[in-house]
Parts: sequence; C-alpha cells; structure tokens
Amino acid sequence: MPFALLASTFATVFLAELGDKTQLAIVSISGTSNRPGAVFAGSAFALVLASLVGAAAGGSLSSVIPTDGLQLAASAGFLIIGTRLILRSGADGGEAPAATTEAAGEDAETPAP
Amino acid sequence: MSSTPETPAATSWITVFLSTATTVFLAELGDKTQLAALLLSAQSGRPVVVFVGASLALICSSLVGVLLGRWLSTVMPPHQLERAAGILMVALGLWLGRQAVLHLAPLHLLNT
Repeated sequence: MPFALLASTFATVFLAELGDKTQLAIVSISGTSNRPGAVFAGSAFALVLASLVGAAAGGSLSSVIPTDGLQLAASAGFLIIGTRLILRSGADGGEAPAATTEAAGEDAETPAP
Repeated sequence: MSSTPETPAATSWITVFLSTATTVFLAELGDKTQLAALLLSAQSGRPVVVFVGASLALICSSLVGVLLGRWLSTVMPPHQLERAAGILMVALGLWLGRQAVLHLAPLHLLNT
C-alpha cells in the first residue's frame, strides 16, 4: 500500500527535520528578511533538490561529490550571514539607542571591566 | 531592484531566493543522517513514493521554519532578533565547519 509508505516517509523526514540546523537557519533567515515568500520558495526548492540528488546518487553520494567540502562551504556561508546580521544589529542599536534599553534584561553580555 | 519605495532596504526577491537556496542546499547536502534515513526507506522498492513523501515533509518543515521566523519578528524588536539570529548562524557555522574539518582530518591525524 503506497499510502502507508508515503505517510511513514513523510513522518520520518518531517520529525528528523524539526529543530535541525537547516530549519534553524530558515527561522533565522525568515525572521530577519522581509521577503518570507522568497525564503520559503528558496528553502523548499533547495531541500527538494538536495533530497533528489541524494536519492539519485544513492549510497555513493560521498564518492560522487565532496560532501565535506560542501559542508565547509555551508559553514562559511553561515558565518558570513551571521556576521552580517550581528553587524547590522549593532548598527541598528547604535542608531536607536533608546530601543536597546528595554532589551537590557535579555542582554547577557556586559561591557568588559 | 524594482522601484517600489515601500521599504528602501528591501532586497530583491531573486536575491533572497538564491541566497536562501544556496545556504540550505549546501547545508542539507552534507547532512548524512537524513540521507541515511531516506535511503533506508528507499529500500522499499518504491523510490517515487519515498521521494514524494520526503519532499512534502521537507516543504512542510521549511514552511514551519518560515512561519516561526515571521512570528518571532512580530514579538521581538528587529535589532534584537537580528543579533540573536546572527549569533545562531555563527554558532551553526562553527559547528558545521568543525564537523567537516574533523571528518576531513580525524583526531588521530592531528594528535601525531
């Protein structure tokens, strides 16, 4: 019965994907971008393409493409996006210092003594 | 960039699409756990059904991520959310990079 297989695959992948680093990245990008439609289209497209590539390559994926090199590239991308976000939040905070005072309770970082 | 002046800092749709797609694709392709789960269920001999089920699940999970991000942006001040998201992305980047480096150069090679 294909429907049972469909449902079990859906459940397995969906549960495996919840709280995954990819989804955390999507939450970050979506929360800080003003184009949620583009973020959804881009992430859904990339996820489906990645699973298609994975399924097509089968077990020999790591011999076909350098997955470790790709992960290094992804980590560089994460670092670049993250640094840009932190820099931008610093710039925003500097422009509106009044707004940062209300967030003082959440700030764990204190100025160095 | 179109001439719509509603938000001056708005990035174009295709830029957001491409940067999101590249980041997610690179991050997801190296993820062997999920591929392993996919391969296990693919041994059922019905790869199309497995692919459709996995695709639906991935689309739903990215929709959940996008909605969660939108919700966060309504309850948190923008600069605070940007900083939290930035710290999260840097942490994910360091963790991903560590995984890849450890796999490329295992500890017993570094300890010699």
